[in-house]
Amino acid sequence: MASKDSEINTSDVKYRLLNNTTNMSNQMIENRMCGNNSEVSNGGLEPEPPSIPKRRQELLKWNGWGYKDSKFYVNKDGHVEFTGERYRISGSTMPGLREWMIKTIGISLEHKTPAQPEISAANIPLPIKNEGFISELRRTAISQSDDCQDRLFRAHGHTVHEIFLLREGKYERIPDLVVWPVSHEEVVKVVELACKHNVVVIPFGGGTSVSEALECPAEEKRMIVSLDTSQMNRILWVDEKNMTMRAECGIIGQDLERKLAERGLCTGHEPDSMEFSSLGGWVATRASGMKKNVYGNIEDLLVHVKMVTPRGVMEKNCQVPRMSCGPDIHHFILGSEGTLGVITEITLKVRPLPPCKKYGSIVFPDFENGVKCMREVAKQRCAPASIRLMDNEQFQFGHALKVESKSILSNFLDGLKKLYITKLKGFDPMKLSVATLLFEGTKEEVAAQEKRVYEIAAAFRGIPAGSDNGERGYMLTFVIAYLRDIAFDYYVVAESFETSVPWDRCLDLCQNVKERLHRECKDHSIQFPPYITCRVTQTYDAGACVYFYFAFNYRGISNPVQLYEEIESRAREEILANGGSISHHHGVGKIRKRWLRKTVGDIGLGTLQAVKQYIDPNNIFGNNNLMINNSSSDNSQQEPQNVLLPSKL
Amino acid sequence: MRLQKLIKILTSVKKIQFKYKHTLADDPKLVSARQKDMFEDILEERRLNGEFRYCLRARDEPAFKLNKRRTPSQIKEHVMNSDRVQYAIEQACIETKLPRSEVMAEASAILDEMAHNQNMGAIRSFAFVLVKIFKALYQRIYVNVDGIQKVRGMVKEYPILLMPSHRSYMDFLLMSYVFYHYDLPLPVIAAAMDFLGMKFVGWLLRNSGAFYIRRSFGDDHLYWAVFTEYVQTHICNGDSPIEFYVEGTRSRTSKSYTPKFGMLSAALEPYFKSHIPDVMVVPVSISYDRILEESLYAYELLGVPKPKESTSGLFKARKILEDDFGNVHIYFGEPISIRKYSEGLVDRSLHNLAPRYIASLTNQEQDLIKKLGHHMVLTHQKHMVVSPWNMMAAVLMQCQEGISVRQLAKEVEWVKRQASNMGAYIDWPASETAESVLRANIKLHSNIVRVNTDDVVELVSVAPPAHTKATDAMMITAGQHLMLSLYRNHILHVFVRPAMIAISVNSCTSERLSIDDLFTKYCFLEQLLSKDFVFVPGSSRIDFDLSLRTLTHTSGIVMELDEVVIGQSVNKLTTFYSQMFEPFLLGYWILCQYLLSNHPNVAGKPLAKTQKTVVKETQMLTARLLQEGVIKQHYEILSLDMMNNGLQALFHMGAVIKERRDGVVYMYPNTRQLSNVTENLAKFIDVPRLPAVSINIHSKTVTVNAKL
Repeated sequence: MASKDSEINTSDVKYRLLNNTTNMSNQMIENRMCGNNSEVSNGGLEPEPPSIPKRRQELLKWNGWGYKDSKFYVNKDGHVEFTGERYRISGSTMPGLREWMIKTIGISLEHKTPAQPEISAANIPLPIKNEGFISELRRTAISQSDDCQDRLFRAHGHTVHEIFLLREGKYERIPDLVVWPVSHEEVVKVVELACKHNVVVIPFGGGTSVSEALECPAEEKRMIVSLDTSQMNRILWVDEKNMTMRAECGIIGQDLERKLAERGLCTGHEPDSMEFSSLGGWVATRASGMKKNVYGNIEDLLVHVKMVTPRGVMEKNCQVPRMSCGPDIHHFILGSEGTLGVITEITLKVRPLPPCKKYGSIVFPDFENGVKCMREVAKQRCAPASIRLMDNEQFQFGHALKVESKSILSNFLDGLKKLYITKLKGFDPMKLSVATLLFEGTKEEVAAQEKRVYEIAAAFRGIPAGSDNGERGYMLTFVIAYLRDIAFDYYVVAESFETSVPWDRCLDLCQNVKERLHRECKDHSIQFPPYITCRVTQTYDAGACVYFYFAFNYRGISNPVQLYEEIESRAREEILANGGSISHHHGVGKIRKRWLRKTVGDIGLGTLQAVKQYIDPNNIFGNNNLMINNSSSDNSQQEPQNVLLPSKL
Repeated sequence: MRLQKLIKILTSVKKIQFKYKHTLADDPKLVSARQKDMFEDILEERRLNGEFRYCLRARDEPAFKLNKRRTPSQIKEHVMNSDRVQYAIEQACIETKLPRSEVMAEASAILDEMAHNQNMGAIRSFAFVLVKIFKALYQRIYVNVDGIQKVRGMVKEYPILLMPSHRSYMDFLLMSYVFYHYDLPLPVIAAAMDFLGMKFVGWLLRNSGAFYIRRSFGDDHLYWAVFTEYVQTHICNGDSPIEFYVEGTRSRTSKSYTPKFGMLSAALEPYFKSHIPDVMVVPVSISYDRILEESLYAYELLGVPKPKESTSGLFKARKILEDDFGNVHIYFGEPISIRKYSEGLVDRSLHNLAPRYIASLTNQEQDLIKKLGHHMVLTHQKHMVVSPWNMMAAVLMQCQEGISVRQLAKEVEWVKRQASNMGAYIDWPASETAESVLRANIKLHSNIVRVNTDDVVELVSVAPPAHTKATDAMMITAGQHLMLSLYRNHILHVFVRPAMIAISVNSCTSERLSIDDLFTKYCFLEQLLSKDFVFVPGSSRIDFDLSLRTLTHTSGIVMELDEVVIGQSVNKLTTFYSQMFEPFLLGYWILCQYLLSNHPNVAGKPLAKTQKTVVKETQMLTARLLQEGVIKQHYEILSLDMMNNGLQALFHMGAVIKERRDGVVYMYPNTRQLSNVTENLAKFIDVPRLPAVSINIHSKTVTVNAKL
């Protein structure tokens, strides 16, 4: 359970979803007007087979991102093309992309590193078997499998490290058994048996984790069961009086939104991974959605949650908008990353589908003006559903992703636009930065929002640059996950990481982290120029979320992943030194554990560990994320006392 | 008016141009000396090609990549509007209850007094004048080219802090000139307010990039805020490299001063608070064959106040242009990345919990700044170029009665070997005989020494500078000695660590000395000498081990089973070292004696006096003792600087106590501790039995009774 990229970007998916469901929604509205629709019902929401099958590998790539049918490749003309028909760019070529890849990261079409064709059974570790557990589990009706590929698929998320292992290596430790419970009760049963037989349970949702949260601890000698929630995908009810709905944890984002859309509703939670990530995973990682400005992040959406723990089921007895009853137990569950139990059922707020949706974009002369504008928008609290600011490198990359345009007119218009911005306004194409916008609401609301945002932008020399640029910007975030696979084919490792930071340090952080990455690449003798870019991707009252992409060409380097991780951790240290956080929405998992103590302090960490100790004394949920084993293994040496001293400066 | 003066000075420069010109063409030695080892002379080109076009040519200087171009007035505007200054103004309003406009005006006045107005026009005319002056003063200005290339490589990538050594006013003129010469962006320079007295020069320097800082501004928070922001904005935006002196002020003794940390802290705070990714610190060592201010320094050390800087004073001093000041060597050391230097030593995230404009540094950061400051000074020393004259001065200081040229050559040769063993860089023309090298240096310093008809080198008696009004024969002698000591001081850092071992061994009365006892003695001496010389806090043991190893390897000291065999270890080497530092120890001892003679008065506590008084009265005592021949004729003990340093060291050793009364610091001895120190000190040098000496201070008679 985890979500990659909690921001979004499946604009094309959305597009399709909306088209498919508009008719349906209209019907709903008619029904409602006729008074046929009961307020609380599950009548219209028949269970249907989940979009993701039990054998995930039949639909999804086993060693890369997304659907098997969708990928970038270099076609016979030597141009980069995207396959399949799921996305709007499917079947299109991007004439600028090859040049960009060659120029920016120094790939060469002659130098390829194809992935290994498979990891065969011989290279997959034998399962550890807890016979007592297995025989008792067999007596239940719970679906299970110890097939090699089923187990392998649930041994990893999507960090560079994990995907590289799939492409080039093998896993030392993977789950020994996969179970697919179909209800809360079956989860309770599995957890009970696990406790009884001392078997480790690792919950698995959409498998899009980018924190190594799914990796099995190599030193774990007990049997490990991967509890796949994908078959728990029902919407249990929708309550339009309170505008809430309850669903099982395994439902994936796109299914949830599609089904709610049938009733004219949505949750509005759209992390970038929403095609694959699950509701339970969002809660377990404290996910964030692209449109949080309107709908809120997962913690704002959450009304009620049920979690199965070794001690029993943890939940509140009411579904109220807020209450004062001591520390909120939901906050033990939110972001618990599978260390305390399995989230089974969740009540979220819902909203009516917005009638009007509009993309937009603003060009700024430089990144600094853009950030200042974002800050002002946040200050005035008039941010549209989404507002993101790409730096120049990312803008150029977005440009390279432009699909081939057959229309002379649009080429001509593009030329005019460019002329206007660079010549008339004097923007330097190598410095300008672009904000992408997504407005939602009624037509009037959208118009009013647009007016206000563009007015603020004008004060920072921002010029509206049309909806196409905006839409392409959002597309970029979702295709980039696919792009990494083709990058891997050409000696390039690439990854994203994110943080949150107070406004006053935002610009410095972006600058210093990028600078540090460049510097580290140089110091580590990476001979090709790395690709380093960032965007300010969410705004808050007191700060922003910043998202980095980092890629480099590793030709001539023997240990690219180790090197990548080394450099990323230097970058994370730079982030922390710059007042940034350990993570905005990716979570801690194992990859960022070493900074947890520093982040929450000794007492904070002790508190987390005490909760863990009470709820799960035998470490049944032993995925080793977050606070587990943090005290002994990492960073345990007592740091010398370091205090701020008053200074005359 | 101003212009006329300028023209006048330039024409006078022209007239004395240029005694070297004719020699250049036909002296193969000088021609080949344009490039030497890692150094390159940047003056010769100017002699051959003149300076007009040079000063007008287009300069293509690299700029810091994150820099946004600003004019000096935009920088000032930024400073006034900065969070830090606004916050300080707010605080000042609360404290002083003055209206905001008034405090604003004060801040703005501070800034106007401080800010530079660097502009290309001034820089070009400045360069024009500088070339003229340098050509008149110096034979060659050597710069290590690889160091310049490193700086060039940094300029685009990092904000740069230049930290040159500081032994002459020429330092920052030379630095700016070097940067001009190599088409590097001209540094802005933190200068003391002294120059503001000179209207024209002050104006010229301000327009060439000097900004002015008050010498002390204690608790003036507003001043601190304006100053800090002013410095930091230059660093953050990388407008220009920032140049400042880590020693705080010009060294009057040609020894390195202990580092000061205020400016360094201000300059590094932007890194600690993550405003910038990194800062590069470049140590620069500037060594002079002959220091422009040599006689001014000597008399200043004796307590004759330095003349106030004034433009007219400068014009009067222009006859100095007729003199020859030899070569200058400028060595740019390896740039240090603050990020790498502080890796694992500071945790910058501690600044996350407060706005960054509120001043604060962590104790880790303060420790680091101290460490770096010391490191910088030691790096200066490491890259100082030792000239033959420095070694001659070291020998001459020990042979005041005169020494024959041949003998001097022999001794210098020996010192050269020792210095070279200690890792000093020696500038010795290989193609000439030792004697001719010596004679050339004697010629260069003919105001200090001469060769008499018997071929014996002896001190010249010179008239003191006019402003000193000194008539006292002893002062004149002392002035000469101090002038000579300046040049010996230039190499003392090379020897001071082994010398502390040598002194301990030479003065040892038993047959053997264990390493532990030796180390105890070493530490005692280090404490005493810690203000006159620069030691890195906490590295005594490392220094000691290294020096002992060096001494045993050069057969200065003989070890058996972790013990020094004293009999075999007292030799020329250890004796030479001991004598080299004897004046310092003797000086401290007299200081101790003076302090001890302050009997507890009726109140049961010794009389507290200001530091100035203590030092002055000690000088009087020393003068008496010298006059009466009670102590060895080390006239340099009359140096107030040495006394001040000794007093500070005694304070740090707990032998002297400070007390603040009405804002003024008074000092009085901690008799018990002071007696211990004195007793201990007397074990290292031969001390005389002191007679009761009366000295007359401001017509009050103070009687000093020796108490041994």
